[in-house]
Amino acid sequence: MPLLSIFRKKTAQGCDYRIDRSHIKVGIPKFLNVWSTHRFWIGFLKALGIPAKNIVFSSDTSEEQYREFGKGRIGMDSCYPVKALAGHIGELLTTKKLDILLVPMIYSLPSFLKGHVMDTLSCTRVPMSVENIKAGFLKEGNEFEKHGVKFLNPFVSFAEPHLLPKQLYESLKEALDVTYDEVERAVREGLEELKRFDQKMRKKTREILEWCAQNNRPCILILARPYHMDPGIGHEIDAEFQSLGYPVVWGQYLPTDEDLMDWLFGADVEAGIIKSPFDISDVWTSSYSSNTNEIIWGAKFASRFPWITAVVRLSSYECGMDQPTYTPTQKIVEASGTLYFKFGDLDETKPSGSVKIRVETIDYYVKKYSPRIIERKLKRLEGRRVPGGFGE
Amino acid sequence: MLTLGLDVGSTTCKYVLIDEKGEIIAKTYERHNTKQAEKVLEFLEKLEEEHGFTPGRDRVYITGSGGGLIGELIGARFVQEVVAVSTAVEKLHPNVRFVSEIGGEDMKTIFFHGEGDKKTRQVFMQSACAGGTGTFIEKSARKLGISPEKLSQMGYLGYQLHKVSSKCGIFAEADVNTLVKAGVPVEEIIASLFEAVVYQNLAVLTKGNTPRPEVLLLGGPNLFFKGLQEAWRHHLSRLWEERGVPIPEGKSPEELVIVPENALYYASLGCALTAMSEPETYGLYAGKDKLRWWVEEGQHEQKKKEGRRGLWKTREELESFRSEYEPQVFAYRNRKPYEGDIEEVVIGCDFGSTTAKAVCLSKDKEVLFSVYTLSKGNPIEDAKYLFRKIRERIGDAKVLGVGVTGYGKDLLKDIIGADVAIVETVAHATAGLHFFPDADCICDVGGVDVKIIILRNGAVVDFRLNSQCSSGNGAFLQGVAERFGIPLEEIAERAFSAQAMPTLTMGCGVFLQSDIVNQQRKGWNADEILAGLCYVLPQNVWIYAGNITNFKGIGRKFILQGGTHRNLAVVKAQVDFLKSKVPNAEVVVHPYSGEAGAIGAGLIALENWEKTGRTRFRGFETIENLVYKSTTSEDTVCRWCPIECRRTFIDVQLPGGKGRPWSKVPLPEGWVRIIVNNSCPKGLVEDKNELKAIKEEMERVRKEFPNVAQLIHKEAFNTRVEV
Repeated sequence: MPLLSIFRKKTAQGCDYRIDRSHIKVGIPKFLNVWSTHRFWIGFLKALGIPAKNIVFSSDTSEEQYREFGKGRIGMDSCYPVKALAGHIGELLTTKKLDILLVPMIYSLPSFLKGHVMDTLSCTRVPMSVENIKAGFLKEGNEFEKHGVKFLNPFVSFAEPHLLPKQLYESLKEALDVTYDEVERAVREGLEELKRFDQKMRKKTREILEWCAQNNRPCILILARPYHMDPGIGHEIDAEFQSLGYPVVWGQYLPTDEDLMDWLFGADVEAGIIKSPFDISDVWTSSYSSNTNEIIWGAKFASRFPWITAVVRLSSYECGMDQPTYTPTQKIVEASGTLYFKFGDLDETKPSGSVKIRVETIDYYVKKYSPRIIERKLKRLEGRRVPGGFGE
Repeated sequence: MLTLGLDVGSTTCKYVLIDEKGEIIAKTYERHNTKQAEKVLEFLEKLEEEHGFTPGRDRVYITGSGGGLIGELIGARFVQEVVAVSTAVEKLHPNVRFVSEIGGEDMKTIFFHGEGDKKTRQVFMQSACAGGTGTFIEKSARKLGISPEKLSQMGYLGYQLHKVSSKCGIFAEADVNTLVKAGVPVEEIIASLFEAVVYQNLAVLTKGNTPRPEVLLLGGPNLFFKGLQEAWRHHLSRLWEERGVPIPEGKSPEELVIVPENALYYASLGCALTAMSEPETYGLYAGKDKLRWWVEEGQHEQKKKEGRRGLWKTREELESFRSEYEPQVFAYRNRKPYEGDIEEVVIGCDFGSTTAKAVCLSKDKEVLFSVYTLSKGNPIEDAKYLFRKIRERIGDAKVLGVGVTGYGKDLLKDIIGADVAIVETVAHATAGLHFFPDADCICDVGGVDVKIIILRNGAVVDFRLNSQCSSGNGAFLQGVAERFGIPLEEIAERAFSAQAMPTLTMGCGVFLQSDIVNQQRKGWNADEILAGLCYVLPQNVWIYAGNITNFKGIGRKFILQGGTHRNLAVVKAQVDFLKSKVPNAEVVVHPYSGEAGAIGAGLIALENWEKTGRTRFRGFETIENLVYKSTTSEDTVCRWCPIECRRTFIDVQLPGGKGRPWSKVPLPEGWVRIIVNNSCPKGLVEDKNELKAIKEEMERVRKEFPNVAQLIHKEAFNTRVEV
């Protein structure tokens, strides 16, 4: 199937920076909601004159990384995605020869549901993990100083983008010798870049979904927090389905185009059940957490979209944010006849044996029930205008 | 003023008595045979008499699993066990970085990091499972008829080692039995046990840390068993070499792995040392009167309170249970195989680790007859046997389709020409839903494993398989009954005869065993104990082994199946347990309890035939004439983990087989390989070469089908990509 449309080339802008920052090397750990703000940081730093080669991310989470670099640095008991940060910081610190270690405390997130939900906050552990893990690198002497690295942990609220320039300026002004105006422009660039990336991924997902429709093939939707894309956190359970021949899409990047929204949610909007396609108040009232909101919305999407015949939920051990969502997501998905499976309690070790049996089990039912599920869901959408790419 | 450090452990009591100068003036280590309080009382009487230990003047600090209760009775101050041991170690051995303490029913490791004031410690313990503890070694040795004296002198180095499961004491027992039957010398078995203990400690209780020198070995087993010390030294030296751990120059492993003279007393010593660093008014000895009262009266009152009624409330209740469930549980006894002519059949096979079964179904989904064999450890031989038996019965009847499930199903599918290979969860679910279309859950308790399958909308949505831990499986119940000399088929009636029963603790089978000994001492008889065991079994199955807490979330209709549910008393306990969790629960017993997997595979094969009207079955003749060779050698040993299972490769001639040219035991084209005698799923993959081949194949498929996460991996963090 056709997958990648050609990258959109951006013409190089002739930027003259106030001072040369091309020698500064910045490291960012690939943890928690950096998985939903990645391109912002790249766009932002590039706009400040840090060259691409000097912006480095840590590797994917792995048990080896955790053991080798994170051991003994974790002072509190928490979910694994938080604890894994110690490995990321340790790795960047000891192997990358950095000038700056940038570990954002992400308080709230950009979200396509903004304006339709109460708020788009991160889990409280997302911002706090930074201070907690940092403490582990200070208790036996300042590890950052020892490596000649400046540790910067700006508090950032993406839900209020107008605050970002101030937040980042305060944190970075000395280390990067930047002016407020420079930061303001860089924030704009970063947000633009993140938005473009987001749109591109939604477009890809739409292409995948259209391919499923045209070939009448089932597709698997993963509902998880964005960092479960990290092979060390989600243990590549999504890829297991891919190797069985299922296209796999993620809740974070579902297409939101008007024609598709109207097809799936139009009837509910017209009936006054919801105010807009992105309104989740019919099933989830305390819509404060951004990731949770998107998971719930993904469940609603899956329950309506014909070719998503199975939803696979991933969740980490002791995730307090996920806990209350288990039953609603399951009910939303299953009420539509769509299959729902959960891999809960994910931890640092991949449960290989049980994953294999589980995946084989799911494969059997998806194969067996998909034709019926697709038919039933299509029937429910009868009478509405089919968007381009999903019809005959 | 004297200071007493008292350690009341799970199998022994220890004390050290220290004078004002910190010198040890008396110490003792004795088994308490589950009478902790009596033993401590005996100690105190002796101490008062021989050493003038005086209430109100001298001090007692106490630790250990029984320390809390007894401490309160004698005015002692309680010190947590790990704290006590660490205190003693830090004081007496400042250079020690790693401590292993193995006790009767628990084991722990302590890692010391850093120096001086910044010294921190990290502790890992295991106390809910007996795998790798002292009881584990002694139990096995007792079975082999080796005296404790002889055991202590037996070695480790130089013996051929065999696989003994270290993860669970009950499984270890089974492994030891197998080795004995195979004629393996006891010396080798014992050496293998030491190996298993050290392996279990290193595997479970290091959590990624490397034990560094110096190492201190504490506790009874580490002190008494010379072979265990040898095993530790062997493994640690190898580990240090592998991981490049610097070793202080000129020191031999013997000097770096220390077993101190007082290895048994570190917890007691730690208590005494803690006392010396605290105000002299702390932990003043209150005399032994309260303790004596407890021994003579208090604990008996407690016992009465602990007991509970038998498995039934009233005779009527028991009778109504019987009339409802006896027909279900014993359905298999009255069932006769179909005697009429058979023209067409569908065959379903289930290749298990201990048994292989096949059923023949009619086109109308009726079970015609089944065949069964104990597994010979070679699925090809098992398959030949099953199909020979089927042919004897059906002669020239037409085989419409074949379905397989269980071990090696994917390869067997090609070898016998089955139409479908079904994962066991699906096979069981299909059979369950065939008989009970509205079932919500299947609970299968077999001899060696527990399966819980949760269903919704006709699909398996969740399941628990536990074959790692013997708690809750039928073999355990049977083992206890055997020790009481009660035949298997009498367990249920004996259990029902009990009017009252002891409350046994849910959890590890090995500890249940010591709990049983304890209850026997308290005067409970065999019938009552069996009742107590049946009663606790559902808790072990669902909560301990199955890890299920939300029962209402599962649903209301439960199917019981598997050999253990042929015991009516267990079924009664299950029904009562489930109804206590789900008030409107409906509990049924599967009519073909043992053949569910095979029936499920058959039903799916039938479905396939209805759809396609064809079968790939290669025919009885072909199966009978299957050519295979099996290899067990150094080259087949599994190298994925230090257990190094001795696997067997069974190579079968099969047209179109891909062969394994890269293997250490190369296989030409036209052959396929089944791997057996592995103990975990990882061992099914031959080695790194095969893993590579598998990964390449997966990559190939992944290229064809997109995954949004993969796009993210490729682009989201790539700073050189422009978006």
